[in-house]
Amino acid sequence: MNRKPYSHFLVVLFLMGVLFSAVRASDSDYQEAVKALGAKDYATALRYLESAVGGDPDNVRYASDYRQAVIRSKDFDRSLQFFEKLVSAHPDSANVHLNFGFAYVDKIPVAGSITQVILANNALKEFTKAVELKESWIAYYTRGMSYLFWPKVFGRAAFGVADLKKAMEIQKSGPRRPYHVKTYIGLGDGYWKMDDSEKARSIWQEGLKEFPDNANLKARLTQQGDQLKATIEAGFDPSKRVDTDLRDLWANSNN
Amino acid sequence: MGKFQQLKAVTCCLALCLSNMAFAGGPAGIRFEEISAKAGVRVQHHSRTFHGKNAEVLHMFTSGGAAVAVGDYDNDGFEDIFATDSDAGKPNHLFHNNGNMTFTDVAVKAGVAGGNDPLSVVSDALWFDYDNDGKLDLLVARFGTPLLYHNEGNGKFKDVSATSGLNKFGNTIAVIAFDYDNDGYLDLLFGNYFKPVNLLDLKDPRVLPNDLDNATNGGGVTLWRNTGKGSFEEVTDKAGLGKVTGWALDVGHGDFNNDGLQDIYIACDYGTDHVFINKGDGTFREATEKATGWDTKKGMNVDVADYDNDGWLDIYVTNITDEYMKECNMLWHNNGDGTFTDVSKETGTCETGWGWAAKFADLDNDGWQDLFVVNGLRSAGPESYVPLILPVITTPGLDITNVNNWPDIGNRTWSGYQKKKLYRNLSNGTFKDVSAEAGVDNDLDGRGIGVGDFDNDGRLDLVQTNADQPLLLYHNITEIRGNWIELKLSGTKSNRDAIGARVRVEAGGITQIREVDGGNGYAGQSTRRLHFGLGSATKIERLQIRWPSGATEIVTVPINHVTYIEEGRGVVTK
Repeated sequence: MNRKPYSHFLVVLFLMGVLFSAVRASDSDYQEAVKALGAKDYATALRYLESAVGGDPDNVRYASDYRQAVIRSKDFDRSLQFFEKLVSAHPDSANVHLNFGFAYVDKIPVAGSITQVILANNALKEFTKAVELKESWIAYYTRGMSYLFWPKVFGRAAFGVADLKKAMEIQKSGPRRPYHVKTYIGLGDGYWKMDDSEKARSIWQEGLKEFPDNANLKARLTQQGDQLKATIEAGFDPSKRVDTDLRDLWANSNN
Repeated sequence: MGKFQQLKAVTCCLALCLSNMAFAGGPAGIRFEEISAKAGVRVQHHSRTFHGKNAEVLHMFTSGGAAVAVGDYDNDGFEDIFATDSDAGKPNHLFHNNGNMTFTDVAVKAGVAGGNDPLSVVSDALWFDYDNDGKLDLLVARFGTPLLYHNEGNGKFKDVSATSGLNKFGNTIAVIAFDYDNDGYLDLLFGNYFKPVNLLDLKDPRVLPNDLDNATNGGGVTLWRNTGKGSFEEVTDKAGLGKVTGWALDVGHGDFNNDGLQDIYIACDYGTDHVFINKGDGTFREATEKATGWDTKKGMNVDVADYDNDGWLDIYVTNITDEYMKECNMLWHNNGDGTFTDVSKETGTCETGWGWAAKFADLDNDGWQDLFVVNGLRSAGPESYVPLILPVITTPGLDITNVNNWPDIGNRTWSGYQKKKLYRNLSNGTFKDVSAEAGVDNDLDGRGIGVGDFDNDGRLDLVQTNADQPLLLYHNITEIRGNWIELKLSGTKSNRDAIGARVRVEAGGITQIREVDGGNGYAGQSTRRLHFGLGSATKIERLQIRWPSGATEIVTVPINHVTYIEEGRGVVTK
């Protein structure tokens, strides 16, 4: 009897066990964190959430909830330090890079005007790593929108449009999700930022066919001139918090 | 009602409506005519030319020295203008007011043209009577040591810098005079931009801000006490101001808490501003945290006025708001309890581009102070410098203090061609942008503002200085305006310039306060006369003066006149 395959099997079994128990531990930590959050005990919640994310770094839900807890506790530097360590421990995890990028974005509204630029640039680097590691709707959509936040003078809107087109391709190749409407809004806004109003309107119109009740699309299609400009620019105001809560991904998905 | 009475009623109604239209910024709103050329004051400013590898960057970082100081140096009843230049060998200008809205440059004859020597850059100027002899002396601030000129009273000035005690090198960009210790002599507060190294003889290129939102390596401020013997001594640390290490761009004073003492606001570039409350014992208490909170903005200007006529002095600070940076200005509304609330968004005074000087002044004499703001850093070619800065800011580990790490600007524009903003006070806590209608929406690279009534017609005129561009003189030609008074105060027990004196005027159903200030506002000293618009009021119910000495006086003054008042003697002849 060849003992090698048997020993390999044991190793795999052992590793699966370790992984499973880590995931189970993460789940248990996550549940403890949820309880602490309910009691507004952020220090405890963050500790448990860090443990949960550390045990299951690819889990988008844990990481997203961790960042939302950080926003409530306003301890943004703690989050950045945590994800910095996490990416060095898991350099090939697209989700970890994605959440690291979001952690930078989360700090932007409380930062000075120049620090905002540095944070936005760092976020973009992490989003790029996420795209390079795993092409996905969320990765392209996130980086595409990130490009659109940059003022016109930096000439990054075209990159944003390219990414959002990729996100559109991906979403069109699978089942429709409610959050897919964001791509229509973002891509239209991207064309508008590139002074292609006609293309912007056609994207918004296409989106409205798919999502006929969406108020953001309706507003864009009924407004003109300064009013439309104000509506679009309100979505790219660095002093306002960008919604980086990813719950839509699991709330509206079978995956 | 008879026909005549009907006609009279209609006429009265029409007159009232027209009057209201005028005061509501209607068709007969604020108007200015730019007359610098015909007035003989259209002179070009030149920023300092640097040499070597980092020349362009240093030129850009030191382009703030186009300043103006308004004051009647020869006591002839007409306000004169001192305007700075900054390049090596370029003369400053002393424009003597000829009394007919023309001026003659007498700087060389008066002996005040110099200052731009090979190792010093003229950056600001200030009229103040340091020896209480009744004649305005002149301080010329520099990236270097300041120059103090004593007014000899015969149209000439004597350089007394060597004996003034003002011998400390500083990269001064702003200076104000006020009597912080109420000893009857005017003291000096300098705002210093760079740390004290000579940029014209640079040994170490690491001179730029160490953080663009929270820099701590600037020049801070220096406070100089007037000894009363013709000299000054530095008291910065003793007074409690030594811990300010930011890049001070402007300093302003006023009695923020209505206790009769002059407090300080320091606007810093690349980081937090500071509020200091005068404790009355020769020291100040830092009150920033409670008063305004700490900020990360690019503070450029401090002007102080009670814009809403609630009896408390408010503060206006310009910052940078452009396509690529959305800081918003700060209009600090004084809550009267030691705290201020920024109401720039609510009042409509938030976005003025790359802000520089801003001045409150009642330009249509309606009893509510309007606001003029100048802006713009560098107007040049079609390409923008901004994308070139991005790698400097975002490259990890790059030493941004090193001037050699900043790219040359070449012919690129940086926040240039910005329209100036004139906001009319609508008397309801908001302002309306009337720049274009008023004729002041030029797009030069503004720096300083000097406000003064140069033709004594009761309408305040404006001087605008511009970096590397000509000076502008806006003559106020507003047609329908309210009544007014202008008061020139003279202290006896208090400092002779009466800086810090507060006047409270009750007329037409509103109460206004003004304080004589010693140079508030970036790169611009305005008239020392207190100007009050009275709207349609034809009499003043009460006019009270609170002198810096603490004495108070009630005086009666005629409307639509310039009135001279001496401490303890009331109204006097000029």
